[in-house]
Amino acid sequence: MTRSVTAELLVVRKRVSTWILLGIWTLLALLFAYVVPYVQYLNGSSRQPLGDLLPEHLVGTLMGGFPFFGGVFALQLGVLAVGSEYGWGTLKTLFTQRPGRLRVFAAKLLALAVTLVPFVLVVFVLGALSSYGIALREGADIEWPSAWLVLRGLGAGWLILAVWAAFGILLAVLSRGTSLAVGIGILYSLVIEGLLSALAGEVSLLDRLVEFFLRANGYSLVAALGVSAEDVADRGPGSFSGPFVGGVQALLVLASYLTVLLVASGWLLRRRDVT
Amino acid sequence: MSAAEFVIETRELGKRYGERIVAVDRLVMRVRRGEVYGFLGPNGAGKTTTLRMLLGLVRPTSGSALVLGAAPGSPEGLARIGALIETPTFYPFLSGRDNLRVLALHAGVPETQIGPALAEVELSARAGDRFQTYSLGMKQRLGIAAALIKDPELLILDEPTNGMDPAGMAEMRTFIRSLGRGMRTVLLSSHLMTEVEQICDRVGVISRGSLVGEGTVDELRGRESLWVRAEPLEEAERVVRAFRGVEEVARIDGGLRVGVDSAAASAINRALVEAGVAVGELRPERASLEKVFLELTEEAA
Repeated sequence: MTRSVTAELLVVRKRVSTWILLGIWTLLALLFAYVVPYVQYLNGSSRQPLGDLLPEHLVGTLMGGFPFFGGVFALQLGVLAVGSEYGWGTLKTLFTQRPGRLRVFAAKLLALAVTLVPFVLVVFVLGALSSYGIALREGADIEWPSAWLVLRGLGAGWLILAVWAAFGILLAVLSRGTSLAVGIGILYSLVIEGLLSALAGEVSLLDRLVEFFLRANGYSLVAALGVSAEDVADRGPGSFSGPFVGGVQALLVLASYLTVLLVASGWLLRRRDVT
Repeated sequence: MSAAEFVIETRELGKRYGERIVAVDRLVMRVRRGEVYGFLGPNGAGKTTTLRMLLGLVRPTSGSALVLGAAPGSPEGLARIGALIETPTFYPFLSGRDNLRVLALHAGVPETQIGPALAEVELSARAGDRFQTYSLGMKQRLGIAAALIKDPELLILDEPTNGMDPAGMAEMRTFIRSLGRGMRTVLLSSHLMTEVEQICDRVGVISRGSLVGEGTVDELRGRESLWVRAEPLEEAERVVRAFRGVEEVARIDGGLRVGVDSAAASAINRALVEAGVAVGELRPERASLEKVFLELTEEAA
């Protein structure tokens, strides 16, 4: 298994799209977490207090980007990890090697899980540097969040991205390719979840439904790490005004989604003909 | 021949897509250890679907198969099979060498096997270049190298000379022939008669999903006959019909096809001349594999 994971990591590492997605995601995460709010602060047009941009609030400030556009990037990563194999026909080549379908799939998942680590770490490291720079410039006290909170933030960020990536994998397996999977994934994340979430406050039935959405549970997990509901609702792209669920419930729902999405993908991949 | 000597054995193997499309129909095929077996059939006959079923890529809807004594697609079987199905498929952004590394890692094969495999297909010089920059011939050769890194007991090659120029095709045929020496078995699918004729020990002809003929090339081509063009034809026919050992005589295209051993040619010529028949042409003739193939596949249709 280790050798199969090494093989898959080689593929992921040498694939340009991995680095492009990491680059754009990092830029956007920092732009919406620090650059835009700080420019607004300097212009005097910010509704966000300076304190949110200081190291002490690192986890809460960064996490706001994960459930929404971070998820979309992870979705694409998941789609590309498996969907491209259909397009290139490499699934056929891999499945005629020794390990068998499920082992190849498991190796792909583990490689993707490892790939998501820099997607979280790089944003946190650059976010920390940004908040430190702002604190220095403003002459503010530099206090860092506890290591436990940072660890929980890293874990939550990874889980949120992993669930979206798993959703991308299932779509890729269902559509046996990338184009339709990316299309449906973005449609779902932006339009379906976005629109229904917006209507949730007005239609009580939707309110219950939205509680099971990836966004609602992602934001709820983020909120449990110290981001206030008002902050989430106020923050630019992907602003979310609820409903929120408890942190533990969000964690369980996301973990369940991750399991179900991956088991369904593996089952389909094992069962279907590869042509 | 015991069952253990069959590297591939299918029993009534079938694949249907829905109610109407029958891709493979109750196929019975046996490939012996150490032979180069040609799987010949027109496009759409079911060759690739059969090979995919043997590799576990496609599930049969009826029947069963054993490949190297294991179920198709099982890890223990796949570990001993090298395969190239249709066009070679690799990661376009990886070099030829890295593509083989990925496969070697998955297959549990030492990476030291990669260099010799690349050298064997004469791709060492371009091994560091990206796969997407390769010509079709180079891609095919990398596909063969990928099939070889496991040092497989069984090679399954699906139209390996597809898209190659004549020189590349000739080179590849010699190469495949050399791969089939010793105890390694090669199952080669093709729709090219000359390819199969030159390379294969035995041939199975598939048409509309069923095996319609099987044997060595000589067996499939049948007995030799004599072709005679003579004047007057009626007298010539009378003389050859009276000749001992002649099994049948048929008038075809203004001449006679005489079912007799070609060793009798000089005696028949003498008999015709003595009977006052002017012999314009007399030569041994044998049905070409192409003709046999067309007859078999047309009958099946």
